[in-house]
Amino acid sequence: MNALKKSLALIATLAIASTAFYACGTDTPANTDSTTEDSTVEDSTVEDSTEDSTPTDDNGEDSSSTDAVAIDVPETGDKLSVLCWTGDDVEKMIENFTKNKPEYAGKVEYVNVGSKGQEAREQYATYFAGGEDADLFVLEADWILEYINNDEYTAPLSKLGFTDADFSGCYPYTVSIGTDNNGVLKAASWQATPGAYVYRADLAEEYLGVKTPEEMQPFVDSWDKFTETAKTVKEKSGGKCAMADTLGGMWQVWQYNRKNAWAKDDKLVIDDYCKEYADLAKNYWDNGYVTKESQWDNKGWYPIGQDGSTMGYFFCTWCLGKGSMLSNAEGGMEDDGETPKNADIYGKYRITAGPSEWAWGGSWLALSPNCDNGEIARDFVKYFTVDEDTMEDYALFKGEFVNNPTVMKKIVDDGSNKNALLGGQDQFSVLYESASKIDMDGKITAYDAQIKDAFNNAVTKYVKGEVASYDDMITEFKKNAATIEGLTVE
Amino acid sequence: MATAAQKRIKSVSYAKYGYIFILPFFVVYFIFSLYPLLQTFILAFHANGGRTNLAFVGLDNFKTILATPAENDFKAMGIHDTFWRYMKNTVIIWVGNFIPQIALSLLLAVWFTDLRVKMPGKGFFKVVMYMPNIITAASVAGLYLSLFGDSSYSVINMLRGCNNPELGVEPLKIITGVWSARVLVMFIQVWMWFGNTMIMLMSGIQGINESLFEAAEIDGANSRQTFWKITFPLLKTIMVYTLLTSMIGGLQMFDIPFMLHTGNVINENIATVAVFVYQMFHKNFAKPSFGYSAAASVILFVITSILGALVFWVQRDKDAMEKAKKRRQQIKEAKRRAKGGGFSI
Repeated sequence: MNALKKSLALIATLAIASTAFYACGTDTPANTDSTTEDSTVEDSTVEDSTEDSTPTDDNGEDSSSTDAVAIDVPETGDKLSVLCWTGDDVEKMIENFTKNKPEYAGKVEYVNVGSKGQEAREQYATYFAGGEDADLFVLEADWILEYINNDEYTAPLSKLGFTDADFSGCYPYTVSIGTDNNGVLKAASWQATPGAYVYRADLAEEYLGVKTPEEMQPFVDSWDKFTETAKTVKEKSGGKCAMADTLGGMWQVWQYNRKNAWAKDDKLVIDDYCKEYADLAKNYWDNGYVTKESQWDNKGWYPIGQDGSTMGYFFCTWCLGKGSMLSNAEGGMEDDGETPKNADIYGKYRITAGPSEWAWGGSWLALSPNCDNGEIARDFVKYFTVDEDTMEDYALFKGEFVNNPTVMKKIVDDGSNKNALLGGQDQFSVLYESASKIDMDGKITAYDAQIKDAFNNAVTKYVKGEVASYDDMITEFKKNAATIEGLTVE
Repeated sequence: MATAAQKRIKSVSYAKYGYIFILPFFVVYFIFSLYPLLQTFILAFHANGGRTNLAFVGLDNFKTILATPAENDFKAMGIHDTFWRYMKNTVIIWVGNFIPQIALSLLLAVWFTDLRVKMPGKGFFKVVMYMPNIITAASVAGLYLSLFGDSSYSVINMLRGCNNPELGVEPLKIITGVWSARVLVMFIQVWMWFGNTMIMLMSGIQGINESLFEAAEIDGANSRQTFWKITFPLLKTIMVYTLLTSMIGGLQMFDIPFMLHTGNVINENIATVAVFVYQMFHKNFAKPSFGYSAAASVILFVITSILGALVFWVQRDKDAMEKAKKRRQQIKEAKRRAKGGGFSI
C-alpha cells in the first residue's frame, strides 16, 4: 500500500512537472499581438458612417428568380454565417444587405475568427474542424492561395449557381486570384484596392507652391521625381518634413510593382528589383526622406500626419473612408463621429496618383463546403460581386471601391462621391485610373506573406546598418526565407 | 478472538473510492498532457511540411538544428542560426532576470518576516508587489510598448521632446535595439515575477522554527548573522525549488519576448527558444514544420533535465551522504569479518 501511494504521488508529481515542456499538438495559448494593429483591413475603431451615405432605393427586385443554374448547397441552416477577422467590412456589408433585402433581416451574422488576417489564416482551419456553422468566409490576398487550392476548406462558387460569366464585370485580376490551380473559381472579391499618394495640401503649397492635386502629380509621378521632390521638401522645411510616411508605406507601392512572382516552381526568385528597393529604402532612410516610424504602430504612425513630419501617406481604397487610417492621420473624430478632434488638419489632405499604380491587399469571399444556407449565400455573394445596382449602393454606403469598373466609372462620372477627409475631393476619380492598370496575374504565390516578411526584415536591418552590405542582406533574406517549409532557396 | 463479522468489517476497503476520486485527473492528464508529450517526442523524429503521414527521418531534425550547416544550404543555415541566436537570447535574458529577481525577493522576504522590523502596511505592500503578476502578459507588452516604444510618440521619447519635429531629437529605439530590448525584457520579467518569488521565499522563512530566531536574538546575533547563519541555510530547500521552477520557466519564456514588437516581424534580439518552437510550425500554414519545433522542444527538455539534475547534485545533503557511505562500509566490514573469521591486519 505504501509503495502504491508513493508511486502514485511520484506519477502525479511527474505529471505536473512534465506539463512544463510539451510544445506541439495542443493549441499554443499564445496571446498573439492583441496590442498591435497590423492587419491590412481597416483599423478597428470605425466610427459609424451611415449618416451621410446616400442609399439608392432602386435596388428593386433582386434577380434571384432568374437564375438558370441550380444551387447545389443544402438549405438546412437558419442563419448565414460570414467569417472574418474584423467586423469593419462584414458588419457594414450585412447592414447594407439587410437594409435593401429586408426579408433577410436577422438571418445573416458576422462571426469573428482571430483579430488580424494572419491569425484568421491559421484559425479558420481549426474553426472548420470544430464543426460549427460556417457558410462564407473572407480570405486575404497574401494567403488566399492556401485556401482556395484546398478542397477541404473551399467549395467552388458554381455550387451556388454562379458561372464564370457572372463575374465578367469584375476587375479581371480579382477573378484570376480567386481561381484555383485547376481553373475553378473559388472566391469572389467585392473590392478592388488600388492605392495612391495622399498628401497635406497646406504643406505642399508651403514647400512646393502647388495648389491642386493636378499640379502636385508632376512632382511625384515617378520615383526619380519623388526623390527629387523629397529632397526639396527636406531642404525647404529645414529638415523636419519627410516625403513618405513609413518604409512600410513605400514597400506597399513597391511590392506591387514587382515584375516576377516571389517564387517560381516553389523556388525563391531574387532579382534586380530587390536591389533597387533596398537601395531606395537606404537612400530614403539615411536622408530622412521617409520618417523612422513604423507602419501600423498607431502610437507614431498617425501623429506624424499632423505634426508636419511627413508630407503624406501611401494609402489605398480602404484607408480613405470614415474612421479609417486617413481619418486617424487627420487626428480622428470625437465620439459623436462628426466633430474632428484636430480641426486644423481635418480635410487638409488631397489625393494624387503618385509614382506608379499599385494595389494593397484585398479580400475575397469564399464558400465553405459546409455551407447550409445556399440561397442566402448566393444572394449575398451576388449582391456584392455581381449585381451592379447593389454594388453601387454599397460603394456609396461604405465609401468602398467596389469590384466593378462600370459601377466605379458611373460614380466618378456622376460625381456622387465627395470625401470630406479630402476636402470634398472624389478619391474614386484618381483611383479609378490606377485600378484599370492593376495586373497581378501570376504574381501571387502561396508563400507571399512569409517571403515579404523575410524580405522586409532583411531590408530593415540593411537600412539600419545591422547588416553591413547588400550581399549580407540577401544572405540574411535567403536564410530567413529558407525556413519556410516547401520553398527552395538557392 | 475476533468474530467473523468483525473480520469482514476490517477487510472492507475504502481505497477504491480514493482511486475513483483521483481518476478524473489521470484521465485528463493522459489525454491532454501525456499524449501531446509523447507526440512531441515522436514528431521530433519525423519529417516536416505536413500534418499527417509524415515520414520517419531519424535524427535529421536534430542534426539540422545542432550541426554546423553546409555552405549554401540556406535552409539549414536559417534554422541552425536562428535556433542558436534564440538560445543565446534565452540564456542571457534568464540570467539577467533571475539574479536580480532572487536578490530582490530574498531581501524583501527577509524584511517582511523579520520580527524586529515593525513595518506598517505589510499586507498592502505584499499585494502591490504581487500585482504585476496578475496582469496578462499581452497587456504588459502593450504597456511597455507605449512606454518604451520606438515611436516618437512613446512616453519616453515624448519626454525627450521627439514629438516636436522642430527640435529634431532622434527618438530612442529601445525595442529594436539589441541590448536595450534585452534589458527591458529582463526588467519586465523581474517586475512581473519578484512578487511571486518573494511570497514563496516568505513561506519558506515562516516555516523555520521561530525559537531559532529568538535564541539567536537572545545570544546577541545581529540581523546579518541571523540571516547568514539561520535563515539562509534553512531556506536551502525552498531556494532549490525556486531555482528549478525559475530555470524551467526561464528556458520556456515565451509571452513577453514574443509580443514585444510592432509590425509583423518578431524581435530577433529577444526571441527565445520557445518562440523558435512556435515560429517553426506557424510559418507556413499549409506546410507546418512540426519536426523542427518538436526537436527544439526535446533539446530544451534535455537541457532542462541536465540542469535540474545538476542543481540537485550541487544542493545534495553532503553530511547525510557521508553518513550513509560510512554505514555501508561498516556493514561491509562486519560482513567480511563474519565471513573471514575475524582476520584483519
